Amino acid sequence: MSLIELQDVSKLYGFGDATSVALDEVALTIESGECVAVMGPSGSGKSTLMNMIGLLDRPTHGDYLLNGRRVSRLSVTRRAKIRRDKIGFIFQSFNLLGRLTALENVALPLLYKGHSMPKRNHEARTILERVGLHDKSYFYPRQLSGGQTQCVAIARALVNKPELIIADEPTGNLDTESSRLVMELLGEIHKSGNTVIFVTHNPELTRYATRVVYMQDGAIKYDEQTKLGEVGSYARKVMYAVPDTTEDDDLAGVSALMKIEKPNEKTTKPKKKRARRKATKKKTTKHKATS
Amino acid sequence: MSSLHKGYLRLAMQSIRASRVRSFMTMLGIVISVMAVVVVVGLSEGVKQQVGNQAERYGDNVLLVRPNQHANALTGSGLPGGTGVLLTQRDVQAASASEGVSIVVPMSSIDGDIFGDQTIKSATVIATTPELVDVINQGIDYGGFLDASDGDHVAVLGSDVALHLFNDNAPLGQRFTFRGQSFIIVGVFKQFVAAPFSLEADYNRSVFIPLGSTEKLLGTAPQINQLFVKTKSDVNVKQVANNVQAAITASRGGSEDTVTLSPGDSGASSNQVLQLLALMTVAVASVALVVGGVGIMNMMLVSVTERIHEIGLRKAIGATNRQILRQFMTEALALSVIGSILGLVGAGVVIALLRLYTSLQPVVVWESVLVAVVVAITTGVLFGSIPALKAARMDPIEALRHE
Ligand SMILES: Nc1ncnc2c1ncn2[C@@H]1O[C@H](COP(=O)(O)OP(=O)(O)OP(=O)(O)O)[C@@H](O)[C@H]1O
Ligand SMILES: [Mg+2]
Repeated sequence: MSLIELQDVSKLYGFGDATSVALDEVALTIESGECVAVMGPSGSGKSTLMNMIGLLDRPTHGDYLLNGRRVSRLSVTRRAKIRRDKIGFIFQSFNLLGRLTALENVALPLLYKGHSMPKRNHEARTILERVGLHDKSYFYPRQLSGGQTQCVAIARALVNKPELIIADEPTGNLDTESSRLVMELLGEIHKSGNTVIFVTHNPELTRYATRVVYMQDGAIKYDEQTKLGEVGSYARKVMYAVPDTTEDDDLAGVSALMKIEKPNEKTTKPKKKRARRKATKKKTTKHKATS
Repeated sequence: MSSLHKGYLRLAMQSIRASRVRSFMTMLGIVISVMAVVVVVGLSEGVKQQVGNQAERYGDNVLLVRPNQHANALTGSGLPGGTGVLLTQRDVQAASASEGVSIVVPMSSIDGDIFGDQTIKSATVIATTPELVDVINQGIDYGGFLDASDGDHVAVLGSDVALHLFNDNAPLGQRFTFRGQSFIIVGVFKQFVAAPFSLEADYNRSVFIPLGSTEKLLGTAPQINQLFVKTKSDVNVKQVANNVQAAITASRGGSEDTVTLSPGDSGASSNQVLQLLALMTVAVASVALVVGGVGIMNMMLVSVTERIHEIGLRKAIGATNRQILRQFMTEALALSVIGSILGLVGAGVVIALLRLYTSLQPVVVWESVLVAVVVAITTGVLFGSIPALKAARMDPIEALRHE
């Protein structure tokens, strides 16, 4: 039995002519213990896929089986409880609640589980120790660096001992050094037996993955197994194929991205249009094929 | 489960503390309305007790006869001046002759400045008879009250006047001049708690002189503003009041321009006014409470809007809708409870200040405290549930996308 089984999952937004396809009949099976890197251009549906797998979203069509159990039609409350018990989320930014200390942030999922305060604090402290930040327990997020913030977020994702860690661009806002720190941590968590799925724009980071999924226009375009420590072969091609996010830009962090964003605006816009045209073309051909 | 509730409370207190000024503004409506209810109910209860105490202090067998315009005991001054209608010695005699009457004491107020060591401008000087002291049951601190054998040029002072005029608690034997006549002081009253049949008259600031002196002072027969009538014991006070009223009306040729109040009357009429006042206060306070509730709702809506991302994050890590709802409901509850407490503290301060610095004697009515707090908390929670529901029903993905 696979941990995750997406059966032709589609996610549509809008109605009629305005319909846009965020996920297009995605079939994906992930086994327990894998570390999956999800790549793809902006708007290709990576976040939508993460939200789907993380039970934040419901498929418009198709089914989702988690541990062999159909979860796509469960009630809001049931899904919240599965998120709480089985899934740990790490987002790109604003991961922590600014009014809570690092320790309180980490303990939050346990609060929703109904654990007592001493138990919450004990477990949170243990996890913070594991990510090497126990000396920052009483720091507020604004007193932490970007990398430390993400490590606290990872600690929080781990505190309920979930089967699955989902990280949507966890290094998107970090510089090279912090990115490495965060990815080393995720890699360690994977080695200790967790299933990890992470989204990245940086092909270098596929070194930490056992599998690379490449998405385009809401569909999985390429799916390969890789060895730990090696950049995926398709990812290597992508390194040169996508000019607006070169390795350097990505590694240079937010400030560099901000700088290149302005001149790129003009070039990215027509590109998106082209992509959309492609998508509609694909749809019409599909229609022909079915009829 | 209780640890979960404590957790919510901690979260609520954290969020309240994080934006103290705004939290206070949120509570302001509740604070003011709780304060208003407790203070005003306390005021009217205080007045009620003062009126009630009077009946006890002066006995329930003293009647008051006064011109009709001032039948209302709450608003009428103890000694109305400048009304068209005045009482005369004939009325005094008529009252005295009525069945069941034991003593009749005329009260005549005269305006003018008093010159002692100091000067008192437009002092209240009351010309009356020696029996006054038997009717109003008031003790004399120094000296004695007016005595028929003393002659007309003696005076008894209220305690405040004594102090003011001579800077002396007991200026016995001292003299003062009033309207060109010299008076010698023979006594000083104990501090009056309240003037009989009146909430406004202040006998502590009055000077009492014999009725016989009025002819020299004014050049006319005494113009009597009101009569105190003490009934005999073991008679029906209401019946005597009717007798007196009939006798006076007859003596005035049938014109019904006077009124006779018995202690019950004055209490009843003022109670009605007070009840109306209290009712109006409660109405105003209810509106204030609703406004307070709307205030809580608005400020919490703002707070929910500001924390959309936070709500998304909480949901992503496993908070159920119900848990989010509870979190915000706890916040509304905490805001209303703290607001109520602040309102009660404010009310306590206002009541204490009023007691210290005014003649009003408001009291804390525990029922009003209970009602105000219960209603305040109920409105707070009721109105707080609207933003709380909004927060609970938020879609996690939409919320997470929000910055
Ligand atoms: N609420 C929504 N309403 C309409 N369209 C949406 C909505 N959410 C997502 N989409 C569309 O779905 C597509 C996939 O979006 P998604 O966020 O999954 O992309 P992504 O691969 O995560 O991009 P990025 O790398 O920029 O994060 C996009 O075209 C987006 O416009
Ligand atoms: Mg994304």
